[in-house]
Amino acid sequence: MEISKFGILSVFLAVSVLVEVLIRFFHLADMHAAFLWEEVPGFSAIYGFIGCILLIVVSKALGHHWLQKEEDYYEKH
Amino acid sequence: MIEWLHPGFIFILGALLIPFLKGKWQKAYLLLLPIAAFISLRYMTTGLFWRIPFLGGEYELVFGRVDKLSLVFAYVFVIASFCMMLYALHVKRSGEHVAAFLYVGGTLGVVFAGDLYTLSIFVELMAISSMFLIGYRGTSSAFAAGLRYIMVHIFAGVCLLAGIIIHVQATGSIAFNVIGLNNFASYLILTGFLINAAVPPLHAWLSDSYPEATITGAVFLTAFTTKSAIYVLIRGFPGAEILMWLGAIMAMYGVIFAVLENDIRRLLAYHIISQVGYMVCGVGIGTWIAINGSAAHAFCHILYKALLFMGAGAVIEVTGRSKLTELGGIYKYMPLTFWLYMIGSFSISGFPLFNGFVSKTMVVQASALTHQPIVWLLLEGASIGTFLHTGLKLPWGVWFATEKPVCEAREPPKNMLAAMGITAFLCTLLGVYPKILYDMLPYPVEFVPYTASHVIGISQLLLFTFVAFWILRGMLRGEPTITLDTDWFYRIGMKKFIWFCQKPVLNFAKAVDNGLMKVANFFVWFSRNPTAATNITVNTMAYVTLKPFNPAYKQYERNLEEMKKRYPGEPVHRVAVGTGLLLALIFFSIYLVIYFVYGVV
Repeated sequence: MEISKFGILSVFLAVSVLVEVLIRFFHLADMHAAFLWEEVPGFSAIYGFIGCILLIVVSKALGHHWLQKEEDYYEKH
Repeated sequence: MIEWLHPGFIFILGALLIPFLKGKWQKAYLLLLPIAAFISLRYMTTGLFWRIPFLGGEYELVFGRVDKLSLVFAYVFVIASFCMMLYALHVKRSGEHVAAFLYVGGTLGVVFAGDLYTLSIFVELMAISSMFLIGYRGTSSAFAAGLRYIMVHIFAGVCLLAGIIIHVQATGSIAFNVIGLNNFASYLILTGFLINAAVPPLHAWLSDSYPEATITGAVFLTAFTTKSAIYVLIRGFPGAEILMWLGAIMAMYGVIFAVLENDIRRLLAYHIISQVGYMVCGVGIGTWIAINGSAAHAFCHILYKALLFMGAGAVIEVTGRSKLTELGGIYKYMPLTFWLYMIGSFSISGFPLFNGFVSKTMVVQASALTHQPIVWLLLEGASIGTFLHTGLKLPWGVWFATEKPVCEAREPPKNMLAAMGITAFLCTLLGVYPKILYDMLPYPVEFVPYTASHVIGISQLLLFTFVAFWILRGMLRGEPTITLDTDWFYRIGMKKFIWFCQKPVLNFAKAVDNGLMKVANFFVWFSRNPTAATNITVNTMAYVTLKPFNPAYKQYERNLEEMKKRYPGEPVHRVAVGTGLLLALIFFSIYLVIYFVYGVV
């Protein structure tokens, strides 16, 4: 399962990069951008990657330092 | 022919017959009711029906207000109730089915309500019947959660009723149309439905109670309370800007909390909050495409969220465990459940070809068209988190993650699989052929979901989310903790309040009581032998005041103790002349005071 997953993943990654390049530089499809940042090539990819990492790190920090308590917190307090 | 049949009453009156049927007949009947309601929906025409004069003709109750908006919500509620009842067909306790159908019927009553009183009555019916779906679980934590649930919803109902009464006083009409946010009454009504829609900070009841409900009941709970509140928000407060911001923040809020969750259903409950955020945001934006997006997203969300809860419920049913820390590696036992669940998670993430894609992109596009960059970023960001948890963290933690399976498992009963299958089919159908959904939406739809930019954008977003997940997956194992949420305030606050009532307030009451009793006791003691009592009292006072000055009063002290012990003694006690004189003087001085104060003889 491990190896085949990576194989499929790299195929998807390659295809998405290829599609992005084609669309951007050869104007194969109509991509109207509503916001400034959508003009950046691969914006969604970067946002997805960075956003995911940021989300995990920030949420875990919030949890470990403040919000997470032991399971019987409400019974004890 | 009957002019119109209220599908809500099909469920409510039909529910009353459920306990009298048994076995196969009950099961057939349970599936027949939603089908009958669906047929009544097909025959409906728009208009106002079941209008009843109220309070001497001054007002008019409208039970059946049928237009495109109420129809689209009614359709999805009825279709979903069929799938959910199929999922629950194996449940033997009739009470659970009765509660479920009263809940569905109440929701349909809300959707078709044309006036505010009808609305509030059906909201109350929904709250009470859904509480049973939580309580039937039978565990003590379920009872506690059910109690907190009904407390919150009673509060919401009271807010709503107060707002309605003030509104009716101000406008003189109970018609339920656009209310708008302009006065205190409208804010009260809004608060009632913000609670029902689980908008932070009033949302904690949802993540607290839904994971405690029965396995089949939780599936029902996901659809009706929150989406009927969205319907009311669309009807009553379209374009209210605060809703746009609340919705966008809500979308991220649910996703942030879900990172920390260990219980699989609580994780999914936070995602309800996140997705409802998209709908609330759409209501706030208020343009045609935004309202269409909210309604479409509600439609799709009911289906895929039911599917997700069905999948999670199946896992709990066969393993008895609901925590990520206790699950793992059971794919080989239940692959079918896994793949049906994954259809739900692809839908919620907004993958192309599934129904989330055709509705979520509409709301996001609405925010783009109205030039709201922060809102757009928040909504897109919530998509990242949604896929991360429902599509990656949860299935990986439950079905994979460990080499060996953590416990025994198997596929759930056939009716549950069939229900999941039908729901998954509907999710995919709407994804590949959205026209069915778009034709039902209240406003004409010009939006095209399958454009290159949408498909490429979302695919990149989700693909790279997967990459980030794979790198950080060690951080996303469940932790055996709970997360504090805004319900901390009333859970801890209530405990402190009750402590305050039991200790300080009660002690004060006891002290006052004791003090008064002491005074009363003194008078009783005094009355037994007033002359002797006066003697003792005067001597005690003299002793107390003079004791510091003359230490040789020991003898005196003993005499005093002796007198007190012999009390009450003989009725008539020989006293010194001075005591009698003192009594007479006291009597005359009181009389003098009264004479001067009141001038009376």
